[in-house]
Amino acid sequence: MRTSNLAALGLTLVVFLALSAAAMAGGNAENGKKIVQARNLGNCAACHVVPGMEFPGDVGPDLAKSMEGYAAKDRDTVWQWVWDARKFDPDTIMPPFGPNKLLTKEQVDDVVEYLYSIKKK
Amino acid sequence: MSRLGRVLVMLVCAFGALTAGAWRYALAADEAAPQIKEYKPNISAREYEKRYNAVYGKYTEQMAEEGNPADFMLDDGKDLFSKVEGSAGKSCASCHGANGEKLKGAAAGFPKYDPATKGINTVALQINRCREDHMGAAPLKYESYDQLALDLYVKSLSNGVPIKVSIDGPARPFYEAGKAYYYKRHGQFNFSCALCHVKYSGHMMRANLLSNNRHHADHWPSYRLKWAGTGSLQRRFRGCNKNVRQKPLPFECETYRDLQLYLTYQANGLPIQVPGFKM
Ligand code: HEC
Ligand code: HEC
Repeated sequence: MRTSNLAALGLTLVVFLALSAAAMAGGNAENGKKIVQARNLGNCAACHVVPGMEFPGDVGPDLAKSMEGYAAKDRDTVWQWVWDARKFDPDTIMPPFGPNKLLTKEQVDDVVEYLYSIKKK
Repeated sequence: MSRLGRVLVMLVCAFGALTAGAWRYALAADEAAPQIKEYKPNISAREYEKRYNAVYGKYTEQMAEEGNPADFMLDDGKDLFSKVEGSAGKSCASCHGANGEKLKGAAAGFPKYDPATKGINTVALQINRCREDHMGAAPLKYESYDQLALDLYVKSLSNGVPIKVSIDGPARPFYEAGKAYYYKRHGQFNFSCALCHVKYSGHMMRANLLSNNRHHADHWPSYRLKWAGTGSLQRRFRGCNKNVRQKPLPFECETYRDLQLYLTYQANGLPIQVPGFKM
């Protein structure tokens, strides 16, 4: 009884650590692409040119070009842009995806992972 | 207290009074200054024109060729104008002349402040007031066919007349209220009307060219392909409200009338051109 309890605890701990490691590594780019594309989620192409997405807007900058300006260490900055761009431009038109509950933290992780994947190398 | 002391106290008091005055003055100046920092469009007027024609030119051509379906409604509005209705046995034409001679140019001054209601009066509101007060007829339901037809006909009597809306005196607070609504962020996306229709006008949002508000109030009621019908400027307000996940308001409510005053003032100097033709 006691050993199985301990084992369960250990397992949860391992799973938890693995999950948080995954979160730190970023999200899932494939899923991020879907979020960026979906009209009811990111709908980023409404305003940004995004590779391969049809009828993009030109309200914001071309995202692949923008990403050229961000190195791997700037991940937090890119994350913050997507989560709440008001931190950089208080009067931005970009919706505050995080605070206004348009996207979850996990979804923003995925979007950021996708953004790094379109970065021209 | 020594003489010097008294002088000093006096000086301090005088200084205090002066600064308090200056402080009050600064506050008053602050209050008088516009609260809202207006946007300038990102894109020059000439470049805007170019982009607008590239996107919408073909529709304008199509209309020129095939005519505007709203012209039928306009004809019906003309008939309604001289149709006797209500307990007084009158039609609009009884007071405003056959073919509305006496209303030529009148719509160019609307919306306007109305001392009787201490609010903003629109053509639509005025038509219903005439019906109730002078004809003993029931008011027309907003956005109903007959209401739109009459509104369209009355406005068409001012076609070609430059819009001349006043925001002086008592109209001013209503204009400011309309402007405040226009600049206020709303809804889950945190958008304002002004972001899309001033700052980013001329940019593409998806496949839509964001139009500049200078031309938003000169052509309604308009036929709209998307509606497959004719509607009012306020119906368009409701559309944009819904598009940005914001609660639409009732027709002719105070906010929409203030908003209409704000937008019509932006169109001052442009000729009225109804019915319009839109995507
Ligand atoms: C309604 C318009 C709009 C939408 C929708 C939008 N953005 Fe933006 N975005 C902008 C604008 C405009 C800027 C430029 C900076 C500013 O003005 O705030 C920007 C800036 C950015 C930047 C910084 C670019 C740089 O050059 O540093 C990133 C990253 C970004 N957006 C990503 C996204 C992603 C990802 C999405 C969707 C989840 C998205 N945006 C949705 C308008 C938008
Ligand atoms: C996210 C962008 C966006 C916001 C915010 C927005 N609109 Fe629009 N609006 C559009 C688009 C796109 C169209 C259709 C294309 C065009 O004419 O601009 C449009 C069209 C219009 C038109 C018709 C223009 C014409 O042809 O006369 C009016 C009027 C209008 N909007 C008013 C408003 C008002 C009032 C608000 C705020 C309550 C608002 N819009 C908010 C995007 C927006």
